[in-house]
Amino acid sequence: MLTYIIRRLLMVPLLLFGVTVLIFAMLQFLSPIERSALYVRDIPRNDKAVEGIIKRYKLDRPMHEQYWFWLVGTVDASTGKRAGGILFGDFGYSRTGAEPVATLIRNRFPNTLDLTIWAVAPVILVGIWLGVQAAVHQNSIIDQAARIFSIVGTSFPTFVFGLLMLMFFYVKLGWFPPGRMSDASSIIVRSEEFHTYTTLLTFDALLNGRFDVFLDALRHMAMPILTLSYISWATFLRVTRSSMLETLRMEYITTARAKGLSEHDVIFKHAQPNAMIPVVTLAGFSVILLLGGVVITETVFNYPGIGQAAAIAAAQLDVITVLGFALFNGLILIVSNLVVDVLYAVVDPRVRLS
Amino acid sequence: MSNNNDVLLKVVDLKMHFPIYRGVFQRQVGAVHAVDGVSFDVKRGETLGLVGESGCGKSTTGRTILQLYKPTAGEVFFKGSNLVSLKSEEMRWMRRQMQMIFQDPYASLNPRMTVAEIVGEPLTVHNVATGKEIQEHVMHLLEIVGLNPSFAGRYPHEFSGGQRQRIGVARALALQPSFIICDEPISALDVSIQAQVVNLLEELQEQFNLTYLFIAHDLSMVRHISKRVAVMYLGVIMELANRDDLYLEPMHPYTQALLSAVPIPDPVADVNRKRVILEGDVPSPVNPPSGCRFRTRCPIAEKICAESRPEFREVKAGHFVACHLVS
Repeated sequence: MLTYIIRRLLMVPLLLFGVTVLIFAMLQFLSPIERSALYVRDIPRNDKAVEGIIKRYKLDRPMHEQYWFWLVGTVDASTGKRAGGILFGDFGYSRTGAEPVATLIRNRFPNTLDLTIWAVAPVILVGIWLGVQAAVHQNSIIDQAARIFSIVGTSFPTFVFGLLMLMFFYVKLGWFPPGRMSDASSIIVRSEEFHTYTTLLTFDALLNGRFDVFLDALRHMAMPILTLSYISWATFLRVTRSSMLETLRMEYITTARAKGLSEHDVIFKHAQPNAMIPVVTLAGFSVILLLGGVVITETVFNYPGIGQAAAIAAAQLDVITVLGFALFNGLILIVSNLVVDVLYAVVDPRVRLS
Repeated sequence: MSNNNDVLLKVVDLKMHFPIYRGVFQRQVGAVHAVDGVSFDVKRGETLGLVGESGCGKSTTGRTILQLYKPTAGEVFFKGSNLVSLKSEEMRWMRRQMQMIFQDPYASLNPRMTVAEIVGEPLTVHNVATGKEIQEHVMHLLEIVGLNPSFAGRYPHEFSGGQRQRIGVARALALQPSFIICDEPISALDVSIQAQVVNLLEELQEQFNLTYLFIAHDLSMVRHISKRVAVMYLGVIMELANRDDLYLEPMHPYTQALLSAVPIPDPVADVNRKRVILEGDVPSPVNPPSGCRFRTRCPIAEKICAESRPEFREVKAGHFVACHLVS
């Protein structure tokens, strides 16, 4: 198991190299002047100053040198200050965010993470649990309902679902407002007494013992959570159900029954762990879906996460910001794939031993 | 050994029909008559062979006896108690005494469990042993079936077919059952491995005084291991007799045809012997023929065979035949 994890970890630098090369290649479509936003906040208007910046940040050098400077940045000989350098967490300046891209991500990402954590919980609870129940009680009422639900879920576009929710729950009923939090909560959150532990609002609210803030945050997140998780539950339900049905037909399930295990143990100790193998694969894919999903969901519900910021940057052709997000998403995917690979080895001994 | 001849398992008119559903409303339109009225006894300490073509219901019979399928009708008495009427919790406890060795050693072992877990699990489930004892039990069982006990931590996919089947045997033995159904335990194995596993089963039978129901389609292997043999065709037993009676003097035309198909390792004898070649295919178990199941392919069938189902009767001492035309 340990060697397996180490082998996977050795792959990470290679993947990172690939991701950076791809993104750097895309940066090359920009003119040197546009690329100077990687190093300076304001691009000067007169040609002389532009020339100076291009020289200073070596934007006229051969491509491989530029790649190196993009990675580690350039150090000003006189002041000793470093400019740029993605390895040092400097992704350049965001025109649309009016702050460094890294700061933008740092401010926005906790909101997105908060949202996705709450959106993933129902996926696992409802999607996987219902999938198992549907398979165990094949052709029962539960199964029929689950199947109808999952077909509707997989074929419903996110933005349509989101807009319908807005119309119904916000405009008509007024239950769930869009945005992040109410004015009242934002005063509390900004006050001295409110400590920031995790930067995730719902968790901080609970840790501070402010249930009003917590409930307010959940009220604001309810619609994005439902929208974001709706498609995923449906897919998880389908995959879990079909995988579970297949596993229940396996001969070792009969063996387990012949051993004298109770039906509960047969299902949850023998069938479900084996049926989870394709579900783990799906979990890897669904991270990608989730990263795309937050862009639409956050935009529809005016939720201040990285998805919304990326959508605004893309609409304004703020390429530096968009590519900054692309790099960040690449990192998230590499980490989540690593987690999925390890999970894979946990659920399937054949993977870790081969 | 005065009670060596008494009956351990008694199967009475056992039927297993699998329903077929069709259409929008999933109405039942018919049933696969996999097992259709089977009766026999298994005596303590003996091996009863159950042979027949594939698809004739041998394996279903085995599984229905162990209540892995809920039988449609009939009774199964094991040591006097009727398994069909037991509640599922009571049946779970009965499983201590009756186990099964499965046909496919690749599919019948949970790929996520180590050998120690597979073999040791029945002990935990039935509270036979706890903690360290389980470990010792497992090691001992692996030794009995001829596997290296140091393999206990490995997973099934690391073993060959023969080794896997030994794991299956160790698992079946774990609870010290008195009765084991061997469901084609060797048909998925290489010929060179088959003999090893059969010899192992025979040794274990002697050592632990086991009773076997040995299901197979290999007639020579059944002849080798069984004391008595039952021949099945399309969900019904056609003939049941002591091994030598059945092989030397088969009475039922189906048994005769079946035995004449066994190759003889002697070219001269093989050419000269009389062979009965059956015409046509096995009819569908969804819609089995009226009367005698075998009449559509029987070389000697008469009118009566289509009209009534032949009784399964004792023609000679211990020799049962289901045929109108055998006297």
